[in-house]
Amino acid sequence: MCIECLKLPPLHRHCDLPAKIVIMASEASSSKGEFDIYQTYRKILDDEEMSPPLAAILSLSQLMVESNAGTMFELVKELHDGAEELKRHTTNPISLNAGCELFIAFVTLFPHESDSFAELKTELVKQGQKYAKEAISYRNKIAELMLDFIKDDSVILTHSYSRVVMRALLHAHKTKRISVYVTEARPRGLGVKTHEVLTAVGIPCTVVLDSAVAYVMDKVDFVLVGSEAVVESGGLINAVGSNQMAIIAKAAHKPFYALAESYKFHRLFPLSQYDLPTHNPSILSFPSLPPRPFVTPPTTSGVSPPIAKSGIDESLNVTPTSSSERSMSAEMTAKNPDVDYTRPDLISLVFSDVGILTPEAISQYLVAMFAG
Amino acid sequence: MAPAPSLPIHPPNGPVNGDASKQPPQGRSSQKSMTKAERRELQEKQRAAKAAAKAGGPVNGAPSKQAAKPTPQATAAATPKRPTKSNEAPAPTASALRTQTAARARAASVSVPTPANARGLRIFSHFGLPKPVSVAKGDIHPTILRLALQFSEFKITGANARCIATLSAFKTVIQDYATPPNNTLSRHLMTYLSPQISHLVAARPMSVTMGNAIRQLKLEISGSDIDLPEQDAKDALCQKIDNYIRDRIIIADQVIEETAGNKIKDGDVILTYARSSVVQKVLLGAHAEGRQFSVIVVDSRPMLEGKRLLSVLASAGIQCTYILLPALGAIITEVTLVLVGAHSIHSNGAVYSRAGTALVAMMAKLHSVPVVVCCETYKYSETVQLDSFTKNELAPQGDLFSSFPSVKARDSLTLENDEHLEILNPLYDLTPPNCITAVVTEVGVIPPNSIGSIPVALGRLL
Repeated sequence: MCIECLKLPPLHRHCDLPAKIVIMASEASSSKGEFDIYQTYRKILDDEEMSPPLAAILSLSQLMVESNAGTMFELVKELHDGAEELKRHTTNPISLNAGCELFIAFVTLFPHESDSFAELKTELVKQGQKYAKEAISYRNKIAELMLDFIKDDSVILTHSYSRVVMRALLHAHKTKRISVYVTEARPRGLGVKTHEVLTAVGIPCTVVLDSAVAYVMDKVDFVLVGSEAVVESGGLINAVGSNQMAIIAKAAHKPFYALAESYKFHRLFPLSQYDLPTHNPSILSFPSLPPRPFVTPPTTSGVSPPIAKSGIDESLNVTPTSSSERSMSAEMTAKNPDVDYTRPDLISLVFSDVGILTPEAISQYLVAMFAG
Repeated sequence: MAPAPSLPIHPPNGPVNGDASKQPPQGRSSQKSMTKAERRELQEKQRAAKAAAKAGGPVNGAPSKQAAKPTPQATAAATPKRPTKSNEAPAPTASALRTQTAARARAASVSVPTPANARGLRIFSHFGLPKPVSVAKGDIHPTILRLALQFSEFKITGANARCIATLSAFKTVIQDYATPPNNTLSRHLMTYLSPQISHLVAARPMSVTMGNAIRQLKLEISGSDIDLPEQDAKDALCQKIDNYIRDRIIIADQVIEETAGNKIKDGDVILTYARSSVVQKVLLGAHAEGRQFSVIVVDSRPMLEGKRLLSVLASAGIQCTYILLPALGAIITEVTLVLVGAHSIHSNGAVYSRAGTALVAMMAKLHSVPVVVCCETYKYSETVQLDSFTKNELAPQGDLFSSFPSVKARDSLTLENDEHLEILNPLYDLTPPNCITAVVTEVGVIPPNSIGSIPVALGRLL
């Protein structure tokens, strides 16, 4: 929540959340006897505009509606359990976490003015849904803030597909001339989706290879990326490749801007890439090969080893797609990370609905929000 | 002049007595000592006359520069034809402790010497050497006397330990205190405590922790209810002191232990420097939780505090390695995490800690090893500190810490100041904020550039 939401008494304005979301949420629960928070969450995420933290907030609100808790303590406990349940189902819980923690903090710090607990619950649910509705509009606010930083004829580099970056670029396109480079962002290849969307509205756009970022950096005016989460150190967690881009941008003296809605601010503090909650020992691990036979030197037969060799890890098998292109197998891809961590000293500014912040200010904002 | 009473204290430079012909500890040859003694007598007379005029000049708190100034003038007046000999100027002859202080100060920082020397070493003259515990001016409580002795002999070291010891001593002082008639406790107690505090400061410069704690104590005293009966007021104050120790140190350490412990993963190689009480707790706590890690303890002279940490960790069953600071470059590639403590943190994010910490942090940064500083919030100082130089403390000369191997004769290895040699052992240094990855406090993990948000976070809590 923005600080204002936390400080002011609850507004008694009727919240008109898009009807379909409310229906979806209640469908999920009525279809089963018991409330399944994960199903609710997934159903909410079906909406293109929804991001994981907001979906989490809405799911937790729905959980509150269904809950039988009689006291605040029980309610908070149920919310924690619900959050844990959501986290269990996904391998990348970071942005989800951000949303859950924000909502639980809001519930805990909410002034208990109502007379009955049921009233309080209803109020909390309403606030939750109202927040989610407002939060959709945050992207517009950010796009507006970004507009002044985009000059006419700007060449922008972006990474993968991010809804908030899309909103900013489309907004800028209405009044300025821009051209965009977007990285392919393997393995999911969402950069191609960005290319489609931008080309459809008439923005000149070219997809560059992930390995060509350094090649293209000198042609670029600034780098613009979205975010999965912005962490306490002021650093950024985003699709893998963002850190690389930030380092190259710093070396080429180009500004690196991150766009993040305030519900993505998270109290995590990773000390390094390997301190992220998404990191596990299997990522970047070496395969365990059987000990090499002492006598024979390995036969050098071009790039791919003969498939007939037994006892070798299957990941060495190459699945040929075309004659000149090869791609990684699913197992190879599984050893690679999904997200990476960009250090705060590489980020120039973070644009969010609470304003344009330097990375140092992120921590101060988080302390003000969550401390105590 | 009447010899001021002197306590039979052994300052670090060896026992001092009033023999004018005794060789100064600098090891001057005895040929010159007779002539020097004569010169000394004359100088003493001059100084006495000057001192009598200067009513009760600063005895203990005098920065060495101040003390040094009157002496060169006296010397210059006395014997104009001693340009080069003046730096062999008298070692403490100890009739007046003032001269003792002045001379000691001169030993530390050359004031009148040849112009070449003067330029080079006057810049260090602002470093206060630990002065010998002087005569108690006024009515100093025996607990404070004892504490001052312990401080000056480095029996109690470490920011937390000194603060707790100081506060405990003040509790005794407060309990023994009796409000004089026609006075209120809240007003008089502070004036009563001030000389006690000065006495401690004279023994060893105050740490930031002691400063913050004493400031809080003064606030509590001034806020103490006038209508309360005296014993109740005193008990309330002692209770407040206990609460301060409990909340800001003991419990804070527990929170830090847990938070920092979560950053330790199985298989980590953790490097720590010298001995921090908080880091010790973190490591022992993580080990007790069953995490598997090994520790490298880096140590350095003169204090060699790491040895104590090493023995504590090793007896707990943690796998430890012990190296001296120069060997850091060889092992830094093996390290996954650096955990250090702090004497104080400043609002620009700089960490003031045992000399050598800055080197460890810079080396770690170069090798992309995260540096985590464990520090309670009561060590926060609102000042901005940019270098290790403007504020520091020198270790006393001589072998106070017994840091040499016992197989070698101590005398052969101990260096002492002489005509062409000055020993400087600063005890603290400053780690710049860009070398630090995170600061773990009891209000959360904070990036170094945002240390200024600590008062905000505290305001929410307290």
